[in-house]
Amino acid sequence: MTLTLTVDGDRWRGHLRELASATPGLVPVLKGNGYGFGLSRLARRAQWLHDQGLGVDCLAVGTYDELPEVAQRFHGDLLVMTPWRPFGAALDIDDHLAQRVIHTVSRPEDAHDLLTRRPDARFVVEVLTSMRRHGHTRRSLDETVQVLRDLDRHPRIEGVAIHLPLASGSHLGEVRRLVNTVVGAELRTRRLWVSHLTRDELGTLRSTYQDFEVRPRVGTSLWLGDRGALRVTGTVLDVHALERGEVFGYRGRSAPKAGHLLVVSGGTAHGIGLEAPTGDTSIKARAATLARGGLDAVGFVRSPYSIDGKQRLFAEPPHMQASMLFLPQGARVPAVGDEIDVRVRYTATSFDRVVVT
Amino acid sequence: MISVRPVPADKHLEFVRSRPSASFLQTPAWARVKPEWRAESLGFFRGDDMVGSALVLYRQLPKLKRYLAYLPEGPVIDWESDDLAAWLAPMADHLRGQGAFGVRMGPPVVTRRWSAAQVKEGIAEESVHRLDDVPPLERAATGARVVAQLQELGWREQSVEGGFAAGQPRHNFQIPLKGRTEDEVLAGMNQLWRRNIRKAAKQGVEVSAGTDLEAFHALYVHTAERDGFTPRPLSYFRTMYEALGAEDPDRIRLWFAHHEGDLVASTIGIRVGTHAWYSYGASSTEKREVRGSNAVQWEMIRDALGAGAEVYDLRGITDTLDADDPHVGLIQFKAGTGGEAVEYAGEWDLPLSRPLYAAFDLYMRRRG
Repeated sequence: MTLTLTVDGDRWRGHLRELASATPGLVPVLKGNGYGFGLSRLARRAQWLHDQGLGVDCLAVGTYDELPEVAQRFHGDLLVMTPWRPFGAALDIDDHLAQRVIHTVSRPEDAHDLLTRRPDARFVVEVLTSMRRHGHTRRSLDETVQVLRDLDRHPRIEGVAIHLPLASGSHLGEVRRLVNTVVGAELRTRRLWVSHLTRDELGTLRSTYQDFEVRPRVGTSLWLGDRGALRVTGTVLDVHALERGEVFGYRGRSAPKAGHLLVVSGGTAHGIGLEAPTGDTSIKARAATLARGGLDAVGFVRSPYSIDGKQRLFAEPPHMQASMLFLPQGARVPAVGDEIDVRVRYTATSFDRVVVT
Repeated sequence: MISVRPVPADKHLEFVRSRPSASFLQTPAWARVKPEWRAESLGFFRGDDMVGSALVLYRQLPKLKRYLAYLPEGPVIDWESDDLAAWLAPMADHLRGQGAFGVRMGPPVVTRRWSAAQVKEGIAEESVHRLDDVPPLERAATGARVVAQLQELGWREQSVEGGFAAGQPRHNFQIPLKGRTEDEVLAGMNQLWRRNIRKAAKQGVEVSAGTDLEAFHALYVHTAERDGFTPRPLSYFRTMYEALGAEDPDRIRLWFAHHEGDLVASTIGIRVGTHAWYSYGASSTEKREVRGSNAVQWEMIRDALGAGAEVYDLRGITDTLDADDPHVGLIQFKAGTGGEAVEYAGEWDLPLSRPLYAAFDLYMRRRG
């Protein structure tokens, strides 16, 4: 009766081990819905990677609110990637956690404020990349360095955070420029926390900046890097034969032709039928988005459910926990209790169950 | 507010003299060494105070009255400044007014340094191909700030593939002399260098400064034939010797190493303030075993020390550390002196007229 993520455990763990050993300095990223697996499972898995001797001594979460869920299960350092601000959950960190947390500082005033509140705070200094989300410009980096000097202590700088966009083409030119800025600002650190670099780019970065330590932050390609190890299924909850013109559903639509109505597990509460924009701006992709948005107006729309390898149509917009599919005459009709495949965006789906075999 | 205007050569020279050092390519005398280009001495002024200088060489575009304004290893300004725009914008305005379609300059700031030992290890290590593959001893903050500011201000870094392309070398080899004695500098050299210097003395090689430009040039042409490069004509050296010499009697010096009456090595040394350069060198094919080249270098280093120089500059190296690269011998020779490989910020262009600069850029690429 559930939307289930089934994980081929051996294969998944094999992939995690392989990626971790090929990525020295790896910092697993776990945030949000835990890439579909859940934060606590991933935190335990990160600890397991550490216990395997693969050097995972730090993991990254997105927000301060995510800390409590992972802190008990992973025993190393905890990097919070959302920059520290003088409000919200950032100010409510348990004292017993304080020394494990590495903050991200993206503004001079925050450096001052954070270190005034917690003189022994550990932090990375984020620099503004071409993504322009958070981070210091060259000028504000100079200001932060001045703030650190004025505080007249040995602040615990843990490195520089560089959050790169998902650009095609090489990032190395941008990384070089940013590192040059860090050198110019005389920030006293030789550690770079970087995201979204390919293995080749990381290799080049390491050989060009051998006097720096590189910590690659990896989320998607770690947890979801081997899609073949993952299977998502919904359960067939009910099957009804439909005649042409018969009325069904919340909205009282009528069947355009004869077939079967399938009620399957998985609805808007799971994220089915909702999607995060992919960022694909092609005409085709935009047309597809329009078509999905116009679900009510015109006929049926493709669902993420597939039966015998064929993607099936939604009979009406997904309900909260279930969806209705239309199966035309002639197709094999699955039995109640059968599992059918669902294609989902893992970062936007909450599963009822995660089964690791 | 900084303003830029042309100044007479003597005022330019006076400013260069007031500074600890400047590149010899930024002295007013250098203009006379390059007569094929129109040259201009510029002063940077804050109020009435001259606070910077530049030697600009205008290189004309074929058939057009438009120029690339070239400032080799310059300008001489406060590169520590956090506001390079204040210096460079009025300079660019002036050059535009002179018909320049673009500016090329070589900020005389170091970005990275490597020790001689690191260079040596790099050559021995098979996985290391270039200086880039070796973690530097130092990354210079000033150099990094210059690079960051030039990028922000729209200057374009000129890539020098392989090191010795057009323009001035980006990587040089230098021996720091500041605060060191002769013995200390000698002790910093590798065993081979020290042995060769001793050997030359034992064999009776005598090194002296002199004025016989023809003798230097004859040996230099001989070296060019042996090593397969195109020699410059005697007239070039004559102009250089006379122009630089007229500026300051200690500016340029010819050096000769003789063995039993035979000239075995000869060099040209240049010094501006605290910076001394080994500029050109020549050596005989006969009698290599008496080590005239080592002897003449050692004498030049001693002379630089005696004159209060802080840096002895062996000039360009390529950035290769590949044992199979033909250029590596030159680096090995220079690295044997101890000292360090230094990387400069490189040459940077500012387009002033986009279409003309683009055409020029394309022309240079095709030619290259």
